[in-house]
Amino acid sequence: MVKFLLRRALYAIPSLFGLLIVTFVLIRVVPADPAAALAGDNATPQQVEAIRHQYGFDRSIPEQLLLYLGKVVQFDFGESQYSHRPVGLDIRQRLPATLELTIAALLIATVLGVPLGVVAGIHHNRWPDFVLRFVSVAGVAVAAFWFAIMLQLLFAMELGWLPLRGRMGSGVIAPPEITGSLVLDSLFAGRLDVFWDALRHLVLPAITLSLGGLASITRFTRAGVLETMQKDFVLYERAVGYPRRRLVWIYVLRNSVIATVTQIGLLFGALIAGAVVVESIFDWPGIGNYAVLAILTADYKVMLAVTLMIGVIYTIVNILTDLVHGLLDPRLWEQL
Amino acid sequence: MRLSRREFAAIAGAATLFGPAAARAGAPDIFVPGQNMPANLDPHQILDLGATAYALNVYDNLFRYENNPAKMQPWLVESHTMSPDGLTWDFKLHHGVKFHDGSELTADDVVYSFQRVLALGKAPAAPFLPILKPGSVSAPDPYSVRFRLERAYGPFFGTLAIVAIVNSRLLKAQEKDGDWAAGWLSSNDAGSGAYRTIPASYVPNEHVDMERFPDHFVGWNDNPKPIKTIEWRPTQVTSTRVLALLDGSLDMTDSFLPSDQVERIEKAPNAHVAKNLTMRLLVIRLNNTKPPFDNINARKCFAHAFNYRGFIDEIVKGYAQRNPAPLPNNIWGYPKDVVGYEYDLTKAKEYFQKAVAEGAPMRRPIEMHVQQPLEQTVQAGQLFQSDLATLGIDLKLVSDTFVNMTSASAKAESTPQMWIHWVSTYYVDPDNWIGQMYDSRYHGTWKASCWYKNPEVDELLGKARFLVDQEDRAPLYEKAARLVVADSPDIWIYNMVEVCGLSNRVEGFRHCPVGSGGEVRWMSLKA
Repeated sequence: MVKFLLRRALYAIPSLFGLLIVTFVLIRVVPADPAAALAGDNATPQQVEAIRHQYGFDRSIPEQLLLYLGKVVQFDFGESQYSHRPVGLDIRQRLPATLELTIAALLIATVLGVPLGVVAGIHHNRWPDFVLRFVSVAGVAVAAFWFAIMLQLLFAMELGWLPLRGRMGSGVIAPPEITGSLVLDSLFAGRLDVFWDALRHLVLPAITLSLGGLASITRFTRAGVLETMQKDFVLYERAVGYPRRRLVWIYVLRNSVIATVTQIGLLFGALIAGAVVVESIFDWPGIGNYAVLAILTADYKVMLAVTLMIGVIYTIVNILTDLVHGLLDPRLWEQL
Repeated sequence: MRLSRREFAAIAGAATLFGPAAARAGAPDIFVPGQNMPANLDPHQILDLGATAYALNVYDNLFRYENNPAKMQPWLVESHTMSPDGLTWDFKLHHGVKFHDGSELTADDVVYSFQRVLALGKAPAAPFLPILKPGSVSAPDPYSVRFRLERAYGPFFGTLAIVAIVNSRLLKAQEKDGDWAAGWLSSNDAGSGAYRTIPASYVPNEHVDMERFPDHFVGWNDNPKPIKTIEWRPTQVTSTRVLALLDGSLDMTDSFLPSDQVERIEKAPNAHVAKNLTMRLLVIRLNNTKPPFDNINARKCFAHAFNYRGFIDEIVKGYAQRNPAPLPNNIWGYPKDVVGYEYDLTKAKEYFQKAVAEGAPMRRPIEMHVQQPLEQTVQAGQLFQSDLATLGIDLKLVSDTFVNMTSASAKAESTPQMWIHWVSTYYVDPDNWIGQMYDSRYHGTWKASCWYKNPEVDELLGKARFLVDQEDRAPLYEKAARLVVADSPDIWIYNMVEVCGLSNRVEGFRHCPVGSGGEVRWMSLKA
């Protein structure tokens, strides 16, 4: 297993390097001129030119790339050209919020999606299957921003049960940071008031973000269960009168979730990308919001660092997914 | 019905989680605005609506625009004189003005502030670059400031309100590698304004808190119940911003609300909409160097094909005034006799045929860049698209960002054939609109992105810029505007009525086109 992890980690380096180069070139060849953006609305062409020189935007792209790479290998992602704050610090402050939201959404999607998929699979072509198929198609089809606004209108405005936006109520003091997750850190600090406040703020964005993933996990699990139910060992177990509940929820499920686990791994990356919309609507202070503002203002160091960071997370999640595959089915170690 | 222990625990957990939301109403003495924040807190680096609103609260200026229509009021200045040739300006400052750190604001701080603006060279420097050099501002004594201009400059007086006066001693101590403390001031406060920033509360684009500065030099006698704390909490999405106003967690929105949201707020029991005519033009730019817009008949065809009334009445719901000329209709220098182009598809067809006869490629697809995420620009494009289609013109809408479009407008060849934007009030002078939009000396800036060139207009605008008396300048701008309208280089749609959502507990809101009413010192909160 250690050998596997080392091998995958080594493979990840050229992938990330490639990602960085492609992103750098793409950002620098689009027409947005960071110098013009930085100079501001009223600036003259002479001012823009002076700023272009000052920030080194007038150097060739390969030269700029080399300079940038030289810093990135030292984990220096530069400063935001607007806030003048180190980009690494900004990401470190915002990433936990995005991870908390993404993990919560993934948990909701998995905890609900897997059982629903099993229920749909074992009731193939009967009403629970039809209902769940309809729900899962709707889940993929519904736009996140529409669903988010509906949730806000119902639970925040109409019923007043949950907060409309943000990560924490006004005047609530955050607990000392341990994991970066407000929900967990408040529990560790024994601050139940903050825990409930953070949890209540998390509910609506996490449900919104989970919707697409929930639908997809349900469908993958259903397909896996359907396939496994046709296997000989299941027929044999049923023939000998093995308890159905135990058969389905242990043996069938374990043999059905390989594809689902892969899907969960891929979903993690997709959810981080999807968090851009959800964070904007709920004013969730994560990297999605941060990335959107960077794109709108051509703050290219932020764009690069966020892309690289998402790439790193994607890579780690892929390695973990392979690891879980191996744990679920040890025969796969040979292939991995 | 008997509940198992597990069922009871689940229900109890859900009841706690989904219990009534706590503290929905705003806290007393805490004002929570929700418009966009500036990209950083340095008033010499950023000049946009957010930066202006922030600076109006945290900094003071020599003069300040107040009220609507905007009038220049002496602020830090007690009195001033100007030499007959308009080259030397002397200002006497108030005594005893305190910065937030308790030190006194003197003429040295004014000199340093202007030098810093020029040295940083960002947006606030633009109007001063042609007339001020670093040594042009001096301090004959601690309470006197002298400006010696390179040449007489009409808009000079109006632009004084742009520059926030910063604490020079504090900033000098924070300078690194000759950066004029640009890094430090991006997230700190060096002002003397009515509110002081709490630096620890600042997270860029997320939140910043400010508290009332009791020693503000204007005093607080004019507001017996001033707001104690400002908690600026920007929201990215308009619908969330409006919902937050309605649920009481925000006190003020931005002033660009779509008309459907205005109706929604007006129906709410706890909020209202402040509507104020401002000075913000919506303009469709035509690149006059690219076919078919290098042909005047093609330009006039397009000018007659836009449904101005339909757009203003139906899409903007009347929150705008038709403005058919290249400067706002509520500023001096506006030619009252100009009618402009009305929506008339028959006339548009006539100009279309003339343009075709002169070889203009009117049937080739034409691209119009609209701004994301500003929905109104898309709506204007779609309306235009449908009318142009009846003439046989294929208008394609391209989603773009403001940054992309302003960058592209540095060169005529990269400037889009058409794009749409607003021109807001940076300083209240016709030069801010017609002066910078249609004088060919400004080619290469986004404001002059139609690449219009008329030597007579250049001469008039140049002359008006370098005269001092408004009475002498106004007729020049009026004449230039008539000439520009006759050449139809762009399509001027409206002058905006700003619509700002306000909680009913907010009193004393004063709108001014500069800062969009974001100056909090006049406001108070009802219990």
